[in-house]
Amino acid sequence: MAFERVLMRNVGVSGSTSLEVYRRSGGYEGAARALRMKPDELVELVKSANLRGRGGAGFPAGVKWSFLPKDRQVTYLCVNADESEPPTFCNRVLIDHDPHMLLEGILIAGYATRTTVAYIYMRGEFTEQFHTLQRALDEAYAAGYFGKNILGSGYDLECYVHRGAGAYVCGEETGLIESLEGKRGWPRIKPPFPAVEGAFHQPTVVNNVETLACLPHILTRGLEWWHSVGTPNSKGPKMFCISGPVNRPGCYEAPLGISCRELIYSPDFGGGMRNGEKVKAVFPGGLSMGVLRGDVFPQRPAGSPIDVTQDYDELDCLLDFDDPRNYDLLGLGTAAAVVVPESADIRDVLVNVARFYAMESCGQCTQCREGTAWMYKIAQRIRAGAGRPVDLDLIVEVTKNMGMMPGLSICGLPDGAAWPLRTLVQKFRREFERHIAAQDPDAPRRRIVRTNPAAYTLPVLQGRAEVMPGGTFYEPENHPELELRA
Amino acid sequence: MPKIIIDGREIECRPGIPVLQAALEAGFDIPHYCYHPGLKIVASCRLCLMEMKMPHPKTQEPVWAPKLVPSCQTPVKDGLEVRFNSDAVRQNQKHVMEYYLLNHPLDCPVCDKAGECYLQDYTEQFGPAASRMVEEKTKNPKKDIGPHTLLYQDRCVLCSRCVRFTEEISGTGELTVVNRGNRGEIDVFPGRPLDNPLQGNVVDLCPVGALLDKDFLFKQRVWLLRSTKSVSPADSRGATIWIDHNDGRIHRIRPRFNEKVNEWWISDEARFGWKYVHAENRLRAPSGRGRGPADPARPLAGRVPLAWEAVPARVRVILGEAAARGGGAGVAAVLSPMMSCEEAWLLASLVRGMAPAATLVPGFVPVVGQDQTFPKGFVIKAEKCPNLRGIETILAHVGGPQATWNEFLGRAAEGAFDAAYVVGGYPDASWVTPAVAAALARIDGCILHDLFPSAAAATAELLLPAASWAEREGTFMNCDGLVQAFERAIPPLEGVKADGQVLHELGGRPGLFRAEAVRAEAAAAVPALGAVFVPRDLPPHAH
Ligand SMILES: Cc1cc2nc3c(=O)[nH]c(=O)nc-3n(C[C@H](O)[C@H](O)[C@H](O)COP(=O)(O)O)c2cc1C
Ligand code: SF4
Ligand code: SF4
Ligand code: FES
Repeated sequence: MAFERVLMRNVGVSGSTSLEVYRRSGGYEGAARALRMKPDELVELVKSANLRGRGGAGFPAGVKWSFLPKDRQVTYLCVNADESEPPTFCNRVLIDHDPHMLLEGILIAGYATRTTVAYIYMRGEFTEQFHTLQRALDEAYAAGYFGKNILGSGYDLECYVHRGAGAYVCGEETGLIESLEGKRGWPRIKPPFPAVEGAFHQPTVVNNVETLACLPHILTRGLEWWHSVGTPNSKGPKMFCISGPVNRPGCYEAPLGISCRELIYSPDFGGGMRNGEKVKAVFPGGLSMGVLRGDVFPQRPAGSPIDVTQDYDELDCLLDFDDPRNYDLLGLGTAAAVVVPESADIRDVLVNVARFYAMESCGQCTQCREGTAWMYKIAQRIRAGAGRPVDLDLIVEVTKNMGMMPGLSICGLPDGAAWPLRTLVQKFRREFERHIAAQDPDAPRRRIVRTNPAAYTLPVLQGRAEVMPGGTFYEPENHPELELRA
Repeated sequence: MPKIIIDGREIECRPGIPVLQAALEAGFDIPHYCYHPGLKIVASCRLCLMEMKMPHPKTQEPVWAPKLVPSCQTPVKDGLEVRFNSDAVRQNQKHVMEYYLLNHPLDCPVCDKAGECYLQDYTEQFGPAASRMVEEKTKNPKKDIGPHTLLYQDRCVLCSRCVRFTEEISGTGELTVVNRGNRGEIDVFPGRPLDNPLQGNVVDLCPVGALLDKDFLFKQRVWLLRSTKSVSPADSRGATIWIDHNDGRIHRIRPRFNEKVNEWWISDEARFGWKYVHAENRLRAPSGRGRGPADPARPLAGRVPLAWEAVPARVRVILGEAAARGGGAGVAAVLSPMMSCEEAWLLASLVRGMAPAATLVPGFVPVVGQDQTFPKGFVIKAEKCPNLRGIETILAHVGGPQATWNEFLGRAAEGAFDAAYVVGGYPDASWVTPAVAAALARIDGCILHDLFPSAAAATAELLLPAASWAEREGTFMNCDGLVQAFERAIPPLEGVKADGQVLHELGGRPGLFRAEAVRAEAAAAVPALGAVFVPRDLPPHAH
């Protein structure tokens, strides 16, 4: 069965943002069907569809909804349209071209969760998208899809578009809620989880734009269709972005589970590399999920198991919710691939990635605030031609000591910083080492003396800067060789 | 009471508290910055992390969970088992302490906090010996954020305690965090400095030397200070405080945890209101009225200095002569609400002993504005004296002729009193208004026991220098009837005797005044007082 685009079916259709065009292709059918069901049946339906969140974590939407307390009076739905993950623009394309699909999804999810008010939290930089969506929302209100007694069902739903002020961390669900409440976008400690106590102290569901946009199709096309698309544990269509020096950068819809190589080289998607260059590296899920080695590396011998410690081409990674883990990636993320060409210097990539997280850490948790900034400084020094082999170990060590996975921070931002930085250093270690070996051997000392003289001039610290490997703290008793004269 | 196991040791804890609090109360030394028992939990410093046993997802058997969890955010629950003495926990503490010092200027030699700084202490106990960062440090600015406070941002660990304090406790919200990540800074809003009646607390709250009190700036190294338990005389709530002093000088006042009254905080009045103790113009010696006319502008001019040894006899003559006339109806004693309970008892019994019909008067009560209540219940009383309730309670039990302060002034102005023992002890002489001065001037045998020269001092037959509360010991009964003891922090000014000692000697008692002995005496005389004047001990878990 040929794959049929559903999420992006109206892309390129003229007037696609209008209610009329949307209705022509079956718009608001799904919502009408949903409103004839019981909310709990709808939750069950979405659960059995195994619709996994498109916002990054891949958590099943139906399961998330079922965490809402049974006896709740008020429920809020927060639509996460903050899309700030670096090379990601799936949500933007969707809102640009088909805002009513999102609105219909909101209506369905709202009904299923008995939501009273839905807030669309929109990235501050999305100016045009804001106007597009607001116009669509006004139209939908006028047509009776929002407001009181929607389609005669007795269900009321209000919906507002709220604009953020431009911080990556406000895309984190509790950061989003704080920001929505008018506070500083500092993620909250959990528990309580938003489903129990979220926006304005009420049970709250946070879902990504694309997650919600899938709902009308599940209702109109049915579970059988839904299960026929994708891989066993990752069902449904997905929007993929590809950027970097490929021939056709952009956003494409495909079933979950296409390979990274397909996304880059298929004429339907990326269309291959510009000027016939090879791929050095690719971040397949936004930056935060980590990096894959490209086809400048040799193919893995046929039949051998995946081994991320070896320098092999990893483009065969399937873009679904599971396979990326086999390549030491954190997950599928936002399915937005950014390609690094052969000609790029890996040190520049490291600086760019490190910079983003150092700038975007909200600064609450010590490991995240200080660790990201420190790694950025190290990366800058490496790029300036003053790296040391120990810096690579140090980066790996710092990345292993931050994040939510080991329980060391409030939100997932530092996990998202740790994965790309660690995998970059580990998977491209030999390239870093080549650069370091080629630089002037005295460069690290010269640069360090300039920026932090204490590291060299204080007796207790003298020389330590070069020899302290990552993973070990400096303790005088362990390093008698470093004890300089009293 | 829930029982939990920390590092293999079973401890019993108060229900509902975080594991961190339970551990601290049980004597474990757990590093932490953002947690403060008086503030909302944010669990952001990530220093207090611990390992916790959780049921295994398959077998349900409790096993050590792979993730670390913040002990400040985990409430105690019966049967909970946690540990801090593991490699993972220590490794995390090491990393966090290394992170804190990455951009810290290491300027301890010129930092007021040095010696009581949790960054120093934790680095010493839990941190690595040196930093591995070789790049340039991020430099954050120093800022003047209010009339009393400086912020050295480069020392800040961004624990947000100060921000939460202004949001939750003072309710004024002056402080906030600006910028993100490691460029984050504490700041005030333009044109809205940190200025509220509780603002000094942020300096105590700050675990490091980032927030500094201009009043204390560069005054003393803290290890040279000695701390004495005291009770603030600033208002009738009786906040418990520490007086930090050395060489007979007070250098600062800090809150002392008190569950029943001020919790962890004190008002700025209590914090900065001690300056009068070291005022230059305090009375320093007893004196008698001179021959010439009194000059209210130069109250001490022409007065005749007296030795303390001569004082008891003079007092007996003045009061005795007046008492001899009409059974003592012409004698009065004014008990200032600045006096301790013990001093009040001594004075009341002394005067009544000599003149049974003497009138006892509770002294002038300074009131400023209205009571001020803050969001979480902190109260600053309008009544600016520590012991009115104590004085009233004693007078109620002693009985006999009594008058209010205003009645007393009225009758004195009509010449109704031949002699009076009047105690002042207020932080300045403003209580002696012209009307008060005129009334006291009509009392021929006026014995004035006060801190500062005033118009009344000029005309007093006998003038005795008083000591401030920091130079005395005793108890105050606060506005809610709570009796709390304060200790002597510094010796009285040279030439001055503690008020209790003076009254003790006037009563012909040998040796030294001891507040405790006086309480026993009062209890023996009036059993009801024995039950009242028992200073309450504070619970130990102050932080
Ligand atoms: C630092 C950080 C940034 C995030 N940014 C976004 C975002 O921009 N958009 C988004 O949908 N989810 C974002 N997420 C994921 C959300 O926390 C949340 O998992 C998601 O909105 C849930 O929706 P879903 O279940 O529909 O995927 C972010 C998470 C983290 C930790
Ligand atoms: S992990 Fe980082 S971004 Fe997330 S709350 Fe903590 S400091 Fe902020
Ligand atoms: S100034 Fe002090 S109290 Fe405030 S955040 Fe910084 S370290 Fe914490
Ligand atoms: S004290 Fe627990 S995280 Fe700060």
